[in-house]
Amino acid sequence: MRFGRISKAVGVAAAAALALSACAGNSGGSTPSSSAAAGKTGGSATVVEVNAFNTFNPNTADGNTDINSKVSYATHSGFYYIDNKLNVVRNEKFGKMEKTSDNPLTVKYTINDGVKWSDGTPVTTADLLLQWAAFSGYYNDADADAKTGTSYFSYAGDPTGLALTDFPELSDDGKSMTIKYSKPFADWEIALGGPGIDIPAHVLAKKAGLADAKAFVSLLKGMPRGDSKAPKPANAQLKAMSDLWNTGFDTKTLPADPELFLSNGPYVVKTINQDQSLTMVKNKDYNWGPDAKLDEITVRYIGDSAAQVQALKNGEADIIAPQASADTVDQLKALQSQGVTVDQGNQLSYDHIDLNYSGPFADKNVREAFMKTVPRKDIVDKIVKKLDDKAKPLDSQLFVPDQAAYADSVKNNGSSAYQDVDIDGAKKLLNGATPEVRIMYNKDNPNRVDAFSLIRESAAKAGFKIVDGGLGKSDWGKALGKGGYDATIFGWINPGVGVSGVPQIFKTGNDSNFNKFSDKDADKLMDELIVTTDKSKQDGLIQQIDKKIWDSAYGLPLFQAVGVDAYSDRITGVKYMPNQTGVWWNFWEWAQK
Amino acid sequence: MVTYVVRRLMTAALILLGASFLVYLLTAASGDPLEEFRVNNSPQKQALMDARTQLLQLDVPAPVRYFRWLGGAAQCLVPFANSCDLGKNIAGQPVTDALGHALIQTLTLVTGATILAILIGITLGIITALRQYSALDYGVTFMAFLFFSLPIFWVAVLLKEFGAIGFNNFLRDPDVPLPVALAIGLVLGVIVAVAAGGALRRRLTVGAVVFAFVSAVLIYFSATLWFKNPGLGPVVIAIAGVGIAFAVTLLSAGLKNRKALQSSLIAVAVGVVLYFVVQPLLDQATFLMIVLLAVAAVLVGLGIGYLMGGYDRGQSMRAAAITSFLVGGMILLDRFMQAWPSYFDNSRVRGRPIATIGAGTPNIEGDFWILGLDSFTHLILPTMALILISLASYTRFTRASMLEIMNMDYIRTARAKGVSERTVVMRHAFRNALIPIATIVAFDIGGLIGGAVITESVFSVRGMGFLFLDGISHTDPNPVMGVFVCVAITAMGFNLIADLAYSALDPRVRVKA
Repeated sequence: MRFGRISKAVGVAAAAALALSACAGNSGGSTPSSSAAAGKTGGSATVVEVNAFNTFNPNTADGNTDINSKVSYATHSGFYYIDNKLNVVRNEKFGKMEKTSDNPLTVKYTINDGVKWSDGTPVTTADLLLQWAAFSGYYNDADADAKTGTSYFSYAGDPTGLALTDFPELSDDGKSMTIKYSKPFADWEIALGGPGIDIPAHVLAKKAGLADAKAFVSLLKGMPRGDSKAPKPANAQLKAMSDLWNTGFDTKTLPADPELFLSNGPYVVKTINQDQSLTMVKNKDYNWGPDAKLDEITVRYIGDSAAQVQALKNGEADIIAPQASADTVDQLKALQSQGVTVDQGNQLSYDHIDLNYSGPFADKNVREAFMKTVPRKDIVDKIVKKLDDKAKPLDSQLFVPDQAAYADSVKNNGSSAYQDVDIDGAKKLLNGATPEVRIMYNKDNPNRVDAFSLIRESAAKAGFKIVDGGLGKSDWGKALGKGGYDATIFGWINPGVGVSGVPQIFKTGNDSNFNKFSDKDADKLMDELIVTTDKSKQDGLIQQIDKKIWDSAYGLPLFQAVGVDAYSDRITGVKYMPNQTGVWWNFWEWAQK
Repeated sequence: MVTYVVRRLMTAALILLGASFLVYLLTAASGDPLEEFRVNNSPQKQALMDARTQLLQLDVPAPVRYFRWLGGAAQCLVPFANSCDLGKNIAGQPVTDALGHALIQTLTLVTGATILAILIGITLGIITALRQYSALDYGVTFMAFLFFSLPIFWVAVLLKEFGAIGFNNFLRDPDVPLPVALAIGLVLGVIVAVAAGGALRRRLTVGAVVFAFVSAVLIYFSATLWFKNPGLGPVVIAIAGVGIAFAVTLLSAGLKNRKALQSSLIAVAVGVVLYFVVQPLLDQATFLMIVLLAVAAVLVGLGIGYLMGGYDRGQSMRAAAITSFLVGGMILLDRFMQAWPSYFDNSRVRGRPIATIGAGTPNIEGDFWILGLDSFTHLILPTMALILISLASYTRFTRASMLEIMNMDYIRTARAKGVSERTVVMRHAFRNALIPIATIVAFDIGGLIGGAVITESVFSVRGMGFLFLDGISHTDPNPVMGVFVCVAITAMGFNLIADLAYSALDPRVRVKA
């Protein structure tokens, strides 16, 4: 009996063992062999980003976050890119972009043979045409107020330049496209065709039910320019395509359909781990641009700056660009002993104080007196020096020091008069008056609060009565330009490349001209600027405008935000970049030591 | 009972409605969703503001928006309709999708930590209650309050600095110098000597033994580079198994029950034999297989106990089952350790195994063991941080509850009638002390999903907390509401469960409608 029980138990155990081996993994082999399979992958780097990737189309209003643009930048190529001196660099291996005429401004784009998408389809003017259609808003006939018409592509960028163009002229071989502007456009170089041509027209056409890219081109050719005054019923096919363009490329995981993430640049996305990481590998066909060195780039998302620094220290990240703060910079400097390189530089955003051309500041002498009291050096010392000991006040309203023209402009624009606080000079200008000045700023931003207190202290010495008009985070933005204050401290972002932004802030009556600066000569110069297509002439004009602004005692730029990036000793070739692209601007030069 | 539950559920629904209205309005009023565009100098500024306004329906007053949101959310109540609509976040992603992913991330992070915190906390609570006012009691109380009052972001940063970066540096050349080994042994010896009960002589002996043992083990580890090639091996499993067998029997049946002790010891012996048998099988392990093996281990234990028989078969079966489960756990641990060198040398890990961020190494490939180790190395630090800070409440509650019970009349009665101290503690006191703890545990599980916001951000896990913070910082009510609804429903659901459990566990409490 007992023996029977035991043999039963053995039988059960044997059956169980069989069942268990049946459910064994078929990954095969034991542990050591599989680790050999993972093997050496050659050069690779891990870059840390703050935000998580969520779309393969970074041009839409919802998708244009920095991380989407960076991934797109690494996986697509175009006619130009922007370097860290804020110059437009042409990529002649991809194709040629030439200005064939100045009047009317005509630009011819020619794509080289051999440039192709990662599914083998050549990159043609159909792809460029798609970008033109999306960026120009040519077909939109929506009227927001009357709620009529259709808005096709929801493009986040500025359509004003390409809106001046007519339907492009396309060559029969699908390799060159010519666009004509109805009037000269200063930023024509960066209007189209780069830094990446990111959405493939043939995929969009196929998914919208068209035969191929040719059918797409003829569809667009057949449609007239949209007119919001006479809206037409939406074109179903173009609507289908633009809907796909707007949201069809949104994804947090790698799409099952490879056509949704085609590459025509140095890298192809290989895996996406939702909200954790994204990995790109080399595009083996790519030979139409700067040659990338690394085999693989992994992007990991870490929001917290201290966590970024520790990830770098622990070798989980190779390149980081955390939000700069005194703590972060100190922590990074402490890592220099273990081979970490820390790059610091200015960012394109800068704080400034603007004086309203009304109220107590209607009188230029009062503005000038107030500007003389602004302790710019103290503000820099208190706010920026702890991050960057070489920091200096910003001396131009229109240039940043990374641009070549900054130094020239600063010499002549009259900023030298406001280097140091001049209380006596201010008192002289005020001539005994004690104007009451309300300064508005975001009181939830500690830097602005510091700047305000320093200014208040100094201005009070000259006789100004300063009223604290600070508003909370949710209110100060709405209050801009609405009056109710006499001066305001806030930040602008210098575009770095392109001049279209200049009149937005400084031209009479424009949206973002919050302090109502108005100068006829400056207006004229700005009108000339936005139709000037020659870079060196542009710089000359901007210098003149800069001087006009300073001469009219507009207010003062205070300091630029500090950026910092750091990379481990495994990696070489990382260079600081002041604009949004950040360290990614020369990702092809990154190499593993 | 049913009326009570229904009444509670109705109240909960009303609370949920009121609270969600309030949270929606507060979130909507917490900032300016268009702030980032206000100081944009692009000519496209107005169009961008219009697009954002349209996406978030900013032209509609917030209370009206709330009811629109509620209309979509109410569809979640329709079963199988699949028409749940919690709106979209600022990047155009449906909140339901984002919630699904975030929930998994958060649960991965907090589940293990919560279970371990409960187990360790209750154990410590009981031990300190039994040794009230001893050095051990004061020590545990001090540590519990110390960790409780530390801010978690700081604990997490320290853990990363020493537990990850420092430990990884150590692993590069795992050499424990002799003085260090002796010092660690001495510290542990002193701690044990202080914590151990009994006369001075006994404490000193125990301390000395611990000092000698720990130092010797460290010297051995250092000499054999054990940290690079860790493992237990059948000998250690056998020795530790015997210890486990005695401990389990002591707690579950008492050492006087010889049949139970024999069953446990046989289970250990079978375990050591099976150690060799299952190695080839384990090479191809899957998660399902490990679960089945665990079940098999328990069944084998039960079988051994059953075969041993005796007058109290159940006790033997229980002791043997627990023992064989634990021995199985050691075999599993040993197999993970065997996989350690290849994980360590994996080109993705690059010899720095303990991670400071995320839930896994990107692009790592490997079998069950490699991937398991990868999860382990990523979860260990956040788990430790969460355990450290949540330990205090469990130890203190258990200790107080246990002390109260131990002073009850029926405990005195039990002692008076000659019941052994083990039975008094384990059977009479412990079970009753658990009743108040059950409610606390239920509360904690309810708060679990929303409770790790800071831990998530420090360890860069994009879970519910991240969703919540990100929503707040963009003044985007939809994700905030999604998180709120999830957290509120679990919290209220578990509150109800806690109340019901209380009445089920304690016969003195009755639920009346």
